[in-house]
Amino acid sequence: MRPDDRKYTKAHEWVLLDGDVALFGITDFAVEELCNGNEGDLVYCDLPEEGRTLEAGETFGEIESVKAVADLNAPIGGVVLETNEAIEEHLEILSTDPYKKGWMVKIKPNNKSLDGLMSAAEYEAFVAEKAH
Amino acid sequence: MGLDEALLGAPAPAPHPGSGAGAPPVTVRFYSWSPDTLSLGYFQRLVDVPPAAAFLGIEAPGAGPDTPLPSAVVRRLTGGGAIHHQGELTFSITTSLEHPLYRGHVEGSYERVHAAIASALQEAGVVSRPRAELTPASEAEGTGMCFHHSSPVDLIWNERKGVGSAQRRKGGRVLHHGSIKLSATELETGVATVAGIASPGALAPLLRAAFERHFDARLEPSVPTAAELEHAKAREAFFGSDEFLRRR
Repeated sequence: MRPDDRKYTKAHEWVLLDGDVALFGITDFAVEELCNGNEGDLVYCDLPEEGRTLEAGETFGEIESVKAVADLNAPIGGVVLETNEAIEEHLEILSTDPYKKGWMVKIKPNNKSLDGLMSAAEYEAFVAEKAH
Repeated sequence: MGLDEALLGAPAPAPHPGSGAGAPPVTVRFYSWSPDTLSLGYFQRLVDVPPAAAFLGIEAPGAGPDTPLPSAVVRRLTGGGAIHHQGELTFSITTSLEHPLYRGHVEGSYERVHAAIASALQEAGVVSRPRAELTPASEAEGTGMCFHHSSPVDLIWNERKGVGSAQRRKGGRVLHHGSIKLSATELETGVATVAGIASPGALAPLLRAAFERHFDARLEPSVPTAAELEHAKAREAFFGSDEFLRRR
């Protein structure tokens, strides 16, 4: 079961509200799609500049595996406060701990509404459907 | 590149007569390049590709006055290494990530597409197979070239890599680029080629037929829409612009 303290998107990002800030990351399912179990297959991750304003759904970064480049999309809007620099040097974090150490971006949200995003249970059902 | 970008960004493509029953539509393009062009992978650094660095006058290891140069340089939307587009058939596939070809992990999608390509190559007299654990004789360090670096799903024959491929996934859609060499180039020495095929135009029908068999789809000849052409024209210069080339 994925963490139920956050919400999920159909593009396999997660968002966690923590007081006045929110964290974004990608799910283990997204990592698995890119790597198929080979954590060394992730080769590059481009994250946004601090201070950038993101709209919900906007591309905030890009991630490259050995064979594909994929966009990263903001689950909610806000201003980028910080990015996780550790990821750029240690992409394996996304494989080993995508929900804690693997956070990508910290933002100050425009608003804290997570309407339209999936709960952990809904996301479980969504990826189970995709797997068939 | 601009047309491939337009196809990747197509928000809700209309059902196409070539689509398999119930599957999202697939668009396949076949093309070759004039003049010969070096395309960089989306994230590649110029200094990691000596011919690109030399072309742009940038100091880089391995780049010098004797470095063979392409006639032009662009950067692709897709990942992976650089390709010198000369003496080859290039193809692009664009479709939804919900298409059975591309559902699931990236590696599996390569296996399915490469199975189709292997089938076409067999028709051309080439017996290819996935590299798996073999280290191909075409591997080379420090060139930045796609054909000099391989992964287990890449197709090889004569123990050399023969198909270059890369993907871009965006907004629930995928763009898959592929290159099949008919002859080696000065920048991509030691790679596998389809020597028995005289021109890209002769290989394309074999590939189209194989894609139809493997994708369970009928591919009908078509032309880009006015909107796709408009997008391609507007973006024509971008992929070879300093802004995009020098981003890394």
